[in-house]
Amino acid sequence: MKPAIVGSGKMTKARLRNGNLLTEIWKHRMTYTLLIPGLIWLILFAYLPTGGLSLAFKHYKANLGIWGSPWAGLENFMYVFRDPAFASSVWRTLYVNIIKLVITFPFPILLALLLNELRMRKMKKLFQTILTFPQFLSWIIVSGIVINVLSYDGLVNSALQLFGLPTINFLGSEPMFLPMLILTDIWKSTGWGAIIFLAAISGIDQDQYESAQIDGASRMQQIFKITLPNILPTVTVMFILNVGGLMSAGFDQIFNLANAATQNVSQVLDVYIYRVTFQSSTDFSFSTAVSLFRSIVNMVLLLTADRVAKWMGGDGLFR
Amino acid sequence: MSTHAVKRTKYRIGKMSLLDYIILAILTILALAILIPFLNVIAISLASQKEYAENPMMLWPKQPTLDAYRALFEDGRILVGFGNTLKIMAVGLPLSLFLTSTMAYGLSRNAFPGKKGIFFLVLFTMIFNGGIVPLYLVMKSLHLTGSLWSVILVGSFSAFNMILMMNYFQSLPESLMESARLDGAGEWRILFSIILPLAAPIMATITLFYGVAFWNGWYDAMIFLRKAEMLPLQNVLRTIIVESTTNVSNAASVDALNKSGFSTGMKMASVFVSMVPIMCFFPMLQKHFAKGVLTGAIKT
Repeated sequence: MKPAIVGSGKMTKARLRNGNLLTEIWKHRMTYTLLIPGLIWLILFAYLPTGGLSLAFKHYKANLGIWGSPWAGLENFMYVFRDPAFASSVWRTLYVNIIKLVITFPFPILLALLLNELRMRKMKKLFQTILTFPQFLSWIIVSGIVINVLSYDGLVNSALQLFGLPTINFLGSEPMFLPMLILTDIWKSTGWGAIIFLAAISGIDQDQYESAQIDGASRMQQIFKITLPNILPTVTVMFILNVGGLMSAGFDQIFNLANAATQNVSQVLDVYIYRVTFQSSTDFSFSTAVSLFRSIVNMVLLLTADRVAKWMGGDGLFR
Repeated sequence: MSTHAVKRTKYRIGKMSLLDYIILAILTILALAILIPFLNVIAISLASQKEYAENPMMLWPKQPTLDAYRALFEDGRILVGFGNTLKIMAVGLPLSLFLTSTMAYGLSRNAFPGKKGIFFLVLFTMIFNGGIVPLYLVMKSLHLTGSLWSVILVGSFSAFNMILMMNYFQSLPESLMESARLDGAGEWRILFSIILPLAAPIMATITLFYGVAFWNGWYDAMIFLRKAEMLPLQNVLRTIIVESTTNVSNAASVDALNKSGFSTGMKMASVFVSMVPIMCFFPMLQKHFAKGVLTGAIKT
């Protein structure tokens, strides 16, 4: 900036604005230093990998790294979309997660209603403690328990035998894989899932119940005419948020409960990504192209779910 | 929840209708469906091979023995896993609390240039992430693969936890910080000597969130760490349980040791010892996670 034109009104304004911005920044310099450690983390472990997705459009050369490898246009995507295993893993993900969501979703609501209707407060506490516990265990621990209980000579099959019923091959058969996922998911997550609905129920205005009782409404009528309609917004929002996770849900569970016998039916998108990246011949460009596809679909699902949840009058994912 | 229950019992004190008994019965069955698999695991871990072979349905062994535990600890792999997980937590927890609280406090300050942009950078990581493949390549180029640091660093910041903490800081009265500022304290001093002591509840919640995530984490370690002696507890458990159960459907002979040398009793003992810390902290976990879920709208 030459001193000669400092006099012009426009420039003074611009300088003033710049000056203000700089003084503002200088004034808050301490605050910026607080943000530096977190920003370094974000750059290294969130934004470098996000930038690394550019590898989807490159030919990966180990000696040149992510940033130096030559561009390849959309070639990787052509291979990805031509791979029948990719397409089938996408459909498998949607198939498994949609069926799982539809079947498991009502259970936490039913449990919340049961717990709410239970009159004995101490028992209610005890039940809540027992039922929420499995949520805090990793799927590795839970699959240890599941493999023990559902295996050929485990608790459930021994009990079936005792009653003269045919045994079920829960863990090693393709048709039983999805039912087994549903069963174990209900076992692990229902108790915890009920917490949010219980909270919604406790927020219902008590006057409604009191006037219903004065009018002689039965408990069943109160459940169907007061409790359920009042928690419907929470139910809708929870359902939509679950839809937002359809493409990525259930990896831990599926990965740890799958075995050689269920290899084909357990190949959801995330399992496919793991297998092509770390188990078969490694082509990082190809895997990155799949990753990018996954990230974009996830983002679209999540943002759509958030929009719909807000539109339905809920809080959405991000407040 | 509690006020609800109190109010309603006022109307019909001591009257247990048929419906009440049905509800109690259903809940009892559900609770047993959770408890019995746990009891079975514990019973098998305490039973001898012979007793297990005779009765895999048992809920308590006739002659409890600690043989399986002794064999498990003599094998030592599970102890190495414990050690690695403890190392990860010893470094990871302070680091994650530092990264989360500095950023949360910084972003809870009054408007400054770029605040919205930086907040969006954090929020965006919740909406979009590159996934494991580019993260693995970045880790490799930073020469962090094969070191516990990879697992520690990846797990030491979460946008969700940061936002939770930020909301808490925003709810603290501004006058507190104002008076400290007048006394000449800088923002770092204010954070560490005024805010953090007041923020014990949220610090406890966030510590438990990171703690459970570190304790239960396994995927990062499976990708970044290759040597068996570096694997954290969950991965060791996975080797013992999942990877050794190659053909569950045909595992006819219960007393045969599988190829990794772990008997069923030892497997169940390893499941149980991995569960113990979660059991010990469970009352705290339940309370704090419920709070987190109810204030944060998203699940853990």
